[in-house]
Amino acid sequence: MTIIEVKNLSKTYEYYKKQAGLWNSVKSLFHREKLFTDAVKNINFTINEGELVGFLGPNGAGKTTTLKMLSGIIYPSRGEASVLGFTPWKRQPIFQKQFALVMGQKNQLWWDLPAMESFILNKEIYEVPDKQFKTTLDELSRLLEIKEILEIPVRKLSLGQRMKCELAAALLHSPKVLFLDEPTIGLDVVSQKNIREFLKKYNKQTKTTIILTSHYMEDVEALCERVVIINHGSLIYDGALSKLMDRYVDQKMLEITFTEDIAKTTLEQLGTIAEFTPQRVLLEVPKQKTKEVAIKVLSNLPVDDILINEVPIDEVIRKIFTASKTL
Amino acid sequence: MHKFTTLIQTAWQRALTHRFSIIAYRIGEIIEVIFLIIMWSSLYEHTAVISGYTLPEMLTYILVGNLITFVTRNFLSDFMAREIKDGTLSLFLVKPISYFTYACIREFGRITMPFLLSLGTHLLIILFFWHRLIITTQVSRLLLLLLMVAGAFITELLISYIVGLIAFWTDEVDGVYTTINRLKKFVSGGYFPLSLLPSLYIKISYTLPFAYSFFVPTQLYLGKISNTTALKGIGVQIIWIGLLCGIIKLVWRRGVRRYEGVGI
Repeated sequence: MTIIEVKNLSKTYEYYKKQAGLWNSVKSLFHREKLFTDAVKNINFTINEGELVGFLGPNGAGKTTTLKMLSGIIYPSRGEASVLGFTPWKRQPIFQKQFALVMGQKNQLWWDLPAMESFILNKEIYEVPDKQFKTTLDELSRLLEIKEILEIPVRKLSLGQRMKCELAAALLHSPKVLFLDEPTIGLDVVSQKNIREFLKKYNKQTKTTIILTSHYMEDVEALCERVVIINHGSLIYDGALSKLMDRYVDQKMLEITFTEDIAKTTLEQLGTIAEFTPQRVLLEVPKQKTKEVAIKVLSNLPVDDILINEVPIDEVIRKIFTASKTL
Repeated sequence: MHKFTTLIQTAWQRALTHRFSIIAYRIGEIIEVIFLIIMWSSLYEHTAVISGYTLPEMLTYILVGNLITFVTRNFLSDFMAREIKDGTLSLFLVKPISYFTYACIREFGRITMPFLLSLGTHLLIILFFWHRLIITTQVSRLLLLLLMVAGAFITELLISYIVGLIAFWTDEVDGVYTTINRLKKFVSGGYFPLSLLPSLYIKISYTLPFAYSFFVPTQLYLGKISNTTALKGIGVQIIWIGLLCGIIKLVWRRGVRRYEGVGI
């Protein structure tokens, strides 16, 4: 079942140009040059029920702008979108009760009060029945391990604890669609992992459709089977994460450690050297030649250990971004 | 209905965590009022009547007027402008409650405690000076006064909301807000009774919403205007409330289209 459908969605922002300096500031009081920037250009995609899709793209690529349009915060300049059959920017309460937005950089919890107070307020705003509220809250506090911190003023919580409470606050009305904008930003590795694991479990259990944007490739790798890559406002890839690897990666990485020092020149004939110390080398080799090179290395050189790895995914994404820039 | 009471309660709880600052503000208010009392008392040393006001009338004017100002004011524009400017508004736009309702009810909850404390401190001052003041016990007049003050509260809230909405265009509203407040204090009779000015000026003030937060209700309290005039005044307030609601609808619809939800 299609939950989200986006057709030729575009957003153009207008802004004013002002050159640096005081005199130019004075001039800009009288005359300003209006400029336009296409934040999102003719994007199309559909997302089905229960999917967990990752939005990837560098800063300013248009990921967040797309999310803002899908949650009805801003109006598109052109194009259409439908979420759960509704047009988001009409902001109908019946639609708003079925989705949630969590922003890593914006908090909805009341800063001076314990998270529980914000939860109760959300319960009323979303008109969640008492019984449902209790079961959902119990379940969420168990999954997120926040039972102990619900009574502590939010400002006293650590960033990781706060993010967990933010997630709980957004999920209390059991939304069918969840938009996550950088939910793990600024968190330490352990907290990141906790949030990730929670999202994975939650998506499996409740079949909630989730769109996630993140700069951390670990998030995307752990959670999303499908990724949508946006750069300069255009969609440049939409499909399985694994297919992305097949399409863009034709190399493997050989990581070899030696028992004695080896000259760089001997290794250069075998492939491209990515990293080199006399006893260890990271070698980039074309996929179909991997086996052949490995055999050569093992039979000719004093090998202590050899590992055959995939190219790291953030490396792949970086390549795609730089390639699309030069297009 | 439940969501409104919960929102007010949440705002109250928040206010309680800021009790020190709220009490500290009241000290300034008391000092200002006492200073005004001293100033007018010395102005009356050589004369019994200024522009038709005796000293007790003048002191009553100041105390009652200030009390009304304190219970009708709000700090909504500043709060709103910040939410629009830094993109926090996005959090409310996705919720199944209108921002207008949310912001106004939250503001009501936010100012309840300062309101009660101001009421308390002013009643204390009134009690202290009561033998030099004019005390009214006419029920119909007091009821009209209550209505007018309620109207003034709503009008002020709506005006602040409009000022807050300007943030969609300019990002900062402090300048507009401060200017409006200064003008308001002048045309509402906050510095001195408008009766000291030419009658045309007073006539204009009666058609603007500001005088109803100070001058008109105190005139009513002092019995310087009739109950019929007061009723007419309440009529003017109702027209203003309708007008302001219309303006809000228009401005919001245009403003929210410009909103970019920056900062996320």
